[in-house]
Amino acid sequence: MISAKIVLIISLIYFALLFAVAYYADKQRERGRSLLSNSYVYSFALAVYCTSWTFYGSVGRAATSGLEFLPIYLGPTLMAFTWWYVLRKMVTISKQENIVSIADFISSRYDRSALLGAMVTIFSLFGIMPYIALQLKAIAHTLEILSSPLHLPSAGLSPLGTQLPPYLDTALIVALVLGLFSVLFGARHLDSSERHEGLVVAVAIESLIKLIAFLAVGIFVTYGLFDGFTDIFQRFFEQFPERQDLFSLGTEETPYTKWFTLLVISMIAIMFLPRQFHIMVTENPDEENIKKAMWRLPAYMFLINLFVIPIALGGLILNGGDTSQADYFVLTLPLSAGHPWLAVLVFIGGLSASAGMVMVASITISTMILNHLVMPVILKLKIRTHDFSGVLINLKRLGVLGVILLGYVYFRIIGESYALVNIGLVSFMAATQFAPAIIGGLYWRRANRQATTTGLLFGFILWFYTLLIPSFARSGWIDSDILHDGLFGIALLKPTELFGLRGFDIYSHSLFWSLLFNLSAYLTLSFFTKQSETETLQADKFVDALNETVEPIQRKRISKAPTIVEFVGLMSKFIGEKPANAAISEYLQDRTIDTRGSLADHEIPALKTFAERTLAGHVGAAPARIILENYLSTRGSKMEDVFDIFGSVTISHAANREQLSVLYDAAQIVASGGDLQKTLDDILGLLSDQFKFDLCVIRFLEEKTMNLVVNSQKGMSSVHFGQSERNLNAETYIGQAFLSNTTAVVNDTEFLDKPTSAEIIHREGITCFAHTPIVLEGESVGVLSAFSRTVKGIFTKEFIALFENLAGQVGIAWRNDKQLQGLLEVHEQEREMQIARNIQMSLLPTTIPQMEKIEVAGLCVPAHQVGGDYYDFITREENGFDLVVADVSGHNIGSALIMAETRTFIHARIDSIKQPAEMLKSLNRFFFDNMDCSDLFVTMFYAQYSPDTYKLGYSSAGHNNPLLWRQKKQEIELLDADGLIFGIKPTVEFQQKTTQLEAGDILLLYTDGIVEAEDNNNEFFGTERLGKLIQESVDLSAQELIDRIMDQVRMFTGLRHFNDDITLVVMKILK
Amino acid sequence: MKDHQGDPIKEAWVICLVLGVILINFPFIHIFNNQQQIFGMPPLVLYFLIGWPASIGVTWLFVRRMGKESSTTDQETGE
Repeated sequence: MISAKIVLIISLIYFALLFAVAYYADKQRERGRSLLSNSYVYSFALAVYCTSWTFYGSVGRAATSGLEFLPIYLGPTLMAFTWWYVLRKMVTISKQENIVSIADFISSRYDRSALLGAMVTIFSLFGIMPYIALQLKAIAHTLEILSSPLHLPSAGLSPLGTQLPPYLDTALIVALVLGLFSVLFGARHLDSSERHEGLVVAVAIESLIKLIAFLAVGIFVTYGLFDGFTDIFQRFFEQFPERQDLFSLGTEETPYTKWFTLLVISMIAIMFLPRQFHIMVTENPDEENIKKAMWRLPAYMFLINLFVIPIALGGLILNGGDTSQADYFVLTLPLSAGHPWLAVLVFIGGLSASAGMVMVASITISTMILNHLVMPVILKLKIRTHDFSGVLINLKRLGVLGVILLGYVYFRIIGESYALVNIGLVSFMAATQFAPAIIGGLYWRRANRQATTTGLLFGFILWFYTLLIPSFARSGWIDSDILHDGLFGIALLKPTELFGLRGFDIYSHSLFWSLLFNLSAYLTLSFFTKQSETETLQADKFVDALNETVEPIQRKRISKAPTIVEFVGLMSKFIGEKPANAAISEYLQDRTIDTRGSLADHEIPALKTFAERTLAGHVGAAPARIILENYLSTRGSKMEDVFDIFGSVTISHAANREQLSVLYDAAQIVASGGDLQKTLDDILGLLSDQFKFDLCVIRFLEEKTMNLVVNSQKGMSSVHFGQSERNLNAETYIGQAFLSNTTAVVNDTEFLDKPTSAEIIHREGITCFAHTPIVLEGESVGVLSAFSRTVKGIFTKEFIALFENLAGQVGIAWRNDKQLQGLLEVHEQEREMQIARNIQMSLLPTTIPQMEKIEVAGLCVPAHQVGGDYYDFITREENGFDLVVADVSGHNIGSALIMAETRTFIHARIDSIKQPAEMLKSLNRFFFDNMDCSDLFVTMFYAQYSPDTYKLGYSSAGHNNPLLWRQKKQEIELLDADGLIFGIKPTVEFQQKTTQLEAGDILLLYTDGIVEAEDNNNEFFGTERLGKLIQESVDLSAQELIDRIMDQVRMFTGLRHFNDDITLVVMKILK
Repeated sequence: MKDHQGDPIKEAWVICLVLGVILINFPFIHIFNNQQQIFGMPPLVLYFLIGWPASIGVTWLFVRRMGKESSTTDQETGE
């Protein structure tokens, strides 16, 4: 025996520790480091499903009724399998609609009906009372067993010790303590999001403790008191051969109908018990956690049930078959075996199981009472005070205590006459009534408010009549005549044999009638009554929550299109006037031309294609494209996406008139042109006025500093946001939006994963925000941001579409402005550079040698319009080919010219000079003779590969050492060969080396642009990172490897542009 | 989006779900509902002792496949 005081002290210490953890978790969240985002926390918290009903009751049930305890856990296992589709949908909807409870969910779906919310709240309260009673009963009983000298509870409930007055029994004290802690955990302050991170973390820990405790006692009984599973079964069969039916189904005790009923009830309960809904949906930090929970929760249930049968049978064997205390075998077995400390661990486990449930349930129900019963009254009475929050938080605390005390009252009236399991099922059955409303609401558009209200009402009346009334009657609280004779003496109205339905257990009977009435009303009324318009809107939102939005159709057109005459002019330059005219007249034969001699808008792209094709016949395809692109771009017109204002917003009831009008107004502002600043200000004004944002900002990238600089702002002054300029890195949401070219949305700043942003956001009291990149031709040029301090969850799918569309409009305004200025100032210079660039790019190899056994890819990205990098693949006649990479210093026309000369030199001599070293030697001579007055210098790596012999010969003129991945040795090798950069001395001897390659080897040639790419801390990308990258990517193809390297370097620098030209050539030896 | 072919994972999922419902209900479990003993244990107990973890394994496999399907979106959110 252990004294009650010690047990109490241990329990209080345990609670205090839990509270400390919860407090810590809350603090962490405020710092933007959510513990809840850990998927284990979510999975374990869901095990709040396993209450003391599981912890003690399962064994009791197994001992008395056999396998009947199992469906309660098999059902959820099956249900969990559906979560990725069903639960994820509920979570998505709840985030979009800012839903905080199951009452909220049902009422939101059905026209935001206040009546439905209140109904669900009241029913939940009724349903939860028996369950809380059950937990109080379990704690009080176990406390007494633990501290009673006989290891058996005295008749009824005796007070703790004898010093307490008779009106204060153990259960009441337990209720008050739990109430106190529930308030501490869940109602310390008012939180509009109804998220209690600390509470969830505490519940997760409790789940872990109860599992450990139960496994401990299971292992102790199975392997300590007995000799394993088989031993227990054998001894049981020897001692009680007549009790074999414990392991059978279809018996009188457990008919198959009951088995089925229990499966259905528990499948529904795991999702729609208000506390399960709260943990699963409201506290869900991330959809990804659902996936993990789908198998972790069933695994948890399996483990906690693994030893139920051994303990039950062990208890029966040791107690001579007496089942009267079977509910507490878990506790009495270690006690009577003389292991009081194991019993204390069990008690703590049981306490965890009960407390977790009571806390979550009372807080959840109290929130529902506050939101759906109290608030409507307050609003209706139009009570006017300055600040409600003080009153509200106290009401919520009162609610928590009240719910628990109601449970206590239930326990005093009925609880003692019923076994644990029976009480639990009454609650489960209540939650079952929510299933049609929710599941129907998720998948059936037609389901409406009136039908739901009626269905729920029917369901609950029948639940009350067929389940609660019998339990009242049996406990003697009401006259038991009603059980025998029916209501008003009408036999057809007997609560357990309603309308003459006999031969079923009370649960199957109740499930059948309550669901039949509930569903019938729900289905028929949904068919025969109509939804209001707003209800249809809500229904669509719920049913379509997971559907992907249809990609808007992109239409192309040419802005500032050239006329037919201009096209002819362009073609004449290249193919002569006559052929050009002939071609065009043939083309125009069957096309309508308007009075001004121009084509309809949609004909222009076709004409462009035609012109390109005609040119290609004379100058080749690539040059033809370059000519046309070049021509069009210098005219300031380019093929571009038509910004279809309404295209990306689904015009349905989803996008409301308000949103569409904003888009329309914005388009008007942009179209009217004028000063850029005024245009931007007007658009922001529109956004913040219509949607009541506290702050809207437009930032554009300043190329010089690579910072995002505020261009326009509406709302709070920039002082609020400290430095208004934002560095470009992925550590802030805005940086992420800009760099990744995707909208960053935070609908609830309670959950942030970027500490840098979290600090500012929390300081300013922002509740939700979004950044969307302003994109032009696939590149971000700025960011449009909106912040709200008051509302959460503004950014629904439709709203984000609208928001992105506005950003697009801003982009157009910006581009128009830039083009106007840019075209005037740098028109000529731009054109020269552009042409130079095009010439240069066309000098790089356009085709890659297709050879067996090797794979080659190359890429050159000039830092500016023109660059000095050069690479080439040259196929030799004698079945081999040369790989060249060269770097000319500088990025101007001069560098480009030298590059062009180098190429010409190599191509001209490729047949006469066979060896890399010789080629470099003659190139050096050439540069020395021709470049003496220039301050440019050139480095080069020249390699020659023969696929037949797998031999690679190479020489280097002061170039970066290429990397060679040796597949066999699994290491990176640097290829170095002595040699001076070109043009220093008239004669230089270049070393030539040869190496043997093997299948799987990868050769990477590059210029210094890649290894000298710098990040924010002026650190180089370096060969080490490059080597590691190759090592990690040996399975990629040559082209994929290049793409991967480019991605990584971009991530590293945080920039889209590079400071130096970058060239990469990859050769992979295939197997 | 594969409109015509449908999502194979989702279809396999439906099949497994239906199978799960069958496997834990009458009449299937009636097969094991007898008084024999296998390895010293009643067959029903043994059935659930093996079948339950197996079903959890199946769920685990599904979750892994779904993880691969949506791994692209994972990268986008930086998770």
